[in-house]
Amino acid sequence: MWKTSLPPLLIVLILLLPQPAPGQEEMSSRYYRYRSTEMSTGVYEEYEVRPRGVQGRTDGARQQGRGLNRIADEEGRALNRIFLNDAHRGLAYYEQRRCVDCHAQEAENNRHYVRYGITCRQCHGEEPIASSNHFFSRLNSLRRHTHVCAKCHEGAGVSFALYAVHEPNPASAATLEVMPVLSYAFWIMIAVAVGTFALFLPHTVLWGLRELLTRKVGRK
Amino acid sequence: MTTSAKTRIKRFTPMQRLFHLTLMLTFLIQSATGLARMYHETGWGQGLANLFGGFSGALTIHIAVGIFMVCAFVVHLAYAIFLLSRRGMVAGLRGPDSLIPGPGDIREFISHLRWILGLSAHPPLDRWGYWEKFDYWAVFWGMIILGGTGLLLATPLASSQVIPGWGLNVAFWVHRIEAILAMAHIFIIHFFVVHLRRSHFPMDSAMFDGSTDLETARNERSAWVDRLTASGELGTRLTVAPPAHKKIIHLITGLGAVAIGLFLLVGSLMHATRITW
Repeated sequence: MWKTSLPPLLIVLILLLPQPAPGQEEMSSRYYRYRSTEMSTGVYEEYEVRPRGVQGRTDGARQQGRGLNRIADEEGRALNRIFLNDAHRGLAYYEQRRCVDCHAQEAENNRHYVRYGITCRQCHGEEPIASSNHFFSRLNSLRRHTHVCAKCHEGAGVSFALYAVHEPNPASAATLEVMPVLSYAFWIMIAVAVGTFALFLPHTVLWGLRELLTRKVGRK
Repeated sequence: MTTSAKTRIKRFTPMQRLFHLTLMLTFLIQSATGLARMYHETGWGQGLANLFGGFSGALTIHIAVGIFMVCAFVVHLAYAIFLLSRRGMVAGLRGPDSLIPGPGDIREFISHLRWILGLSAHPPLDRWGYWEKFDYWAVFWGMIILGGTGLLLATPLASSQVIPGWGLNVAFWVHRIEAILAMAHIFIIHFFVVHLRRSHFPMDSAMFDGSTDLETARNERSAWVDRLTASGELGTRLTVAPPAHKKIIHLITGLGAVAIGLFLLVGSLMHATRITW
């Protein structure tokens, strides 16, 4: 009886039961799980991110351990890294470092990272990370808008990709060279704000004191 | 005519009070949702955002209320143009009932400052003091700056077709600094002038009642009362005090706004060093 009923039963089960989905697989490697999540949505499970209190905060500026230089002197001399297909080629102990160990500035002036927890690799990709000026880089301005921005901002154009993700500090003098409009707008707005409060704060405080010490305001 | 009961003088029309109430409520929502996002790295900001459905919910509300504010501003412009067309386009901009600042306001500012320092008598103010004109035009300018940059930032894909993408970096900082200026001005200076001055403590409720006490006005804004007396308009402007229950509602509304404003002010000052600017 089994001999006749088992094959059709198996066929029925194959037809009716759902296919084993990749999502049901046990991940043996956290690395592969990370990579698949990164490539799909950019959304992380709660246990995959740091706790809320420290989320988005970088302590990369403080160096721990032996205090490696950002780039060893010889390395800096030998290569012009902004045109390499592997921008980190030959860096000492590269595998042991986190991105923010060297690129703390880039993480801090970056609302994609601070507010939305977008990681470096979600835009810059996997090893080897080409310099963004390299012809094959996904961040080359030829294809940045389609290959990087449009992953989340559907319909991003060339102009959209001109948004400075690694925003220069608008208060610093160096910004005047890089983004003059930002620098001027920032300082004009600061001047308006400071001027308003320089005038009205003492005015209001003195006014309050005057009324406090006067029985009645006015002509009588 | 029971003149004894009519102790108050009309200062704001119901339309003006409605504009102020709308602005007050939307401004507080925009402050809370904006600060919730700005301070999202701190527990304080996260708690604030939770009131509005979290980090992204706060943005949804911020944008929706922002668009409503821009619409209300357009309605206000239409209202101002309507008033001007009734009074005459050029004549309506002049005179003591106009909010357009003039050289007289600088003179008034200096004489008021002299009174503050005890150097001269209190100047006879008219219907609008110089600080009230400043407040009006500060909001006017703020609506244009914040509304303009806000609309750019709310639709980055569309706006980057009009301006280069880095213009959004600029718009972000202009929006942020103007918002901080507006909140600090309202939560410190406006609240102080309206609530904490001895002559009006605990609250100058003219903007809610629509009327202000005639005796107080006679002292503080003598030029206005004298002008109305001379033109014989004073009788038509006198009114009775609002009923007690309305006064209580107005007081609670005003002091509630103060409480929310101070909560936002103190919280954001306390956590200012804990966020990425």
